[in-house]
Amino acid sequence: MNGRITHHVTRGAKLSITLDGRTLDAFEGETIATVIMALSSPAFRQDSRGDPRGLFCNMGTCSECFVSVRRISGPVRRLRACLTPVSDGMVIETTGGYDV
Amino acid sequence: MAAATIVARQGLRVIVMDEQQRPGGQILRQPPRAFGVRGWLDGRTYRGVKATLAAFETEPEIRWCGGRSALGLAREEGTFVVHAAGMDDVLRITADRVLVATGCYDLPVPLAGWTLPGVLAAGGVQAFIKSQQFVPGERFVFAGTHPLMLVIAAQIVTAGGEVALVAFDQSRTRAAAPLLAKPWTTLRNIEIFASAAAALMTLRRHRVPVRYGMPLTAITGEHQVSAARFDAMRVECDRVAMCYGFVPQSDLPRMAGASTIWASPAGGWRTLHNEWMATDVEGLWIAGETAGVAGAAAAIEEGRLAAFAILRSAGKAPDTDLPAKQARRRLARLQGFTNLLADVADPGAVLTRAVPEDTILCRCEDVSFGSVSAALDETLAPNAVKLLTRCGMGLCQGRSCEPALLRLIASRSGDKIGSAGGFAARFPARPVQIGDLIQPASVAATATISSEAID
Repeated sequence: MNGRITHHVTRGAKLSITLDGRTLDAFEGETIATVIMALSSPAFRQDSRGDPRGLFCNMGTCSECFVSVRRISGPVRRLRACLTPVSDGMVIETTGGYDV
Repeated sequence: MAAATIVARQGLRVIVMDEQQRPGGQILRQPPRAFGVRGWLDGRTYRGVKATLAAFETEPEIRWCGGRSALGLAREEGTFVVHAAGMDDVLRITADRVLVATGCYDLPVPLAGWTLPGVLAAGGVQAFIKSQQFVPGERFVFAGTHPLMLVIAAQIVTAGGEVALVAFDQSRTRAAAPLLAKPWTTLRNIEIFASAAAALMTLRRHRVPVRYGMPLTAITGEHQVSAARFDAMRVECDRVAMCYGFVPQSDLPRMAGASTIWASPAGGWRTLHNEWMATDVEGLWIAGETAGVAGAAAAIEEGRLAAFAILRSAGKAPDTDLPAKQARRRLARLQGFTNLLADVADPGAVLTRAVPEDTILCRCEDVSFGSVSAALDETLAPNAVKLLTRCGMGLCQGRSCEPALLRLIASRSGDKIGSAGGFAARFPARPVQIGDLIQPASVAATATISSEAID
């Protein structure tokens, strides 16, 4: 799926990010959560039962959407995908464990 | 935003911190700066709050500190300290006076399958549409008790998305009863009902069924949602949006020691305040849903009242008697509608329904209803249940499970919900890397600081 609304909407510059080893296009201003939800599977992690889990609140409260993020330079950080804007060259790892 | 604008205009130094990159709160979750959106939220109901946002954004004396989460609020040597986590570091902000306006979040309702990817809080769905201009799924089912889901479902179909069903848990008679019991309040707020009616018409035009008396019983799917189950029906979908009402974000006032009380009927802790929105912690004010879920219009009035009191405590004394009186009059009028809406959307019946033992209650620590139930045979104290089961010990600090747990406790004890207290509110209110806390950069709200320290 895609889901991006295009009617009356212009997005920022096209960026390239890597999500779980796959190179993807995204747009400046988008959150990591949007990029993941725009794919076919919305899993962000696996829980202790081995079940896939997704984002719930999309406002920083539920902490379900933590992913590992590395920008062009700097260490890997654990960040909430719903609050974090993508940047060019960002490398993101979920632990969803399913093909996104 | 209303309070910051008023106090900044009178010469006080103000830092405003927000988890979002741009101001506006959840009601006006702005699109990113890099986006252009024509006719963004141009409905009548947004006009008042958009004017407040415009005044805030053009006030040069306000220092905006977006994209940072408040981890805690404490008093140290006569001043408040707020630790503010960003993507890369933590700032230690000190201030003489603090206003907490942390809003609310969707009431989480645990039921079978609610942890599957694709189950979303309805407010979260709306935020994707408002801000990211993104419909986060192919085919939605809305389930809940709160009429806001009509508006969100209408926003989805207007944006070109598909809504398979909007299912109200309560019967139509039950939903309408409070409106009929309070006809004057209903009529006085006819504009808001008109927007709900317009949403209903949009849904009808797109042939979206809206049903009443249809409780969601389970969500099923393998790697993500594939169907929503109701008593007599299964509806295929890839997203379920839950809309059972809203609970106050109260971690910071609770951490600072302010008195709170259980908010009924939806739940959560609302912070107690006087007629100037001051809490019982000196120097700490609140506004908006922190004081009880009442909507953006009420939040603005409360922010004004708090600002007048803050100015007075800072030795500035503009004549605020008349504007305060006007703000209180508008608040009183809004209160009637708030109570009415809370009555219509009361999720009480949903939350007392039995769910399967293996249903997850605590999403962070994967604690099931069964484990919690066994712990409740031993103790009915929330913190003791937390220690026994890890329920509430995870990354969200109990925000997702506390309302449901306290209801279970109340159903065992027979006491009112929340009368046994809740989880102890502890630092940090949001997860943070320990390394970031070791050497936070210090910023005083009263000092002139370089914009780089904040940016």
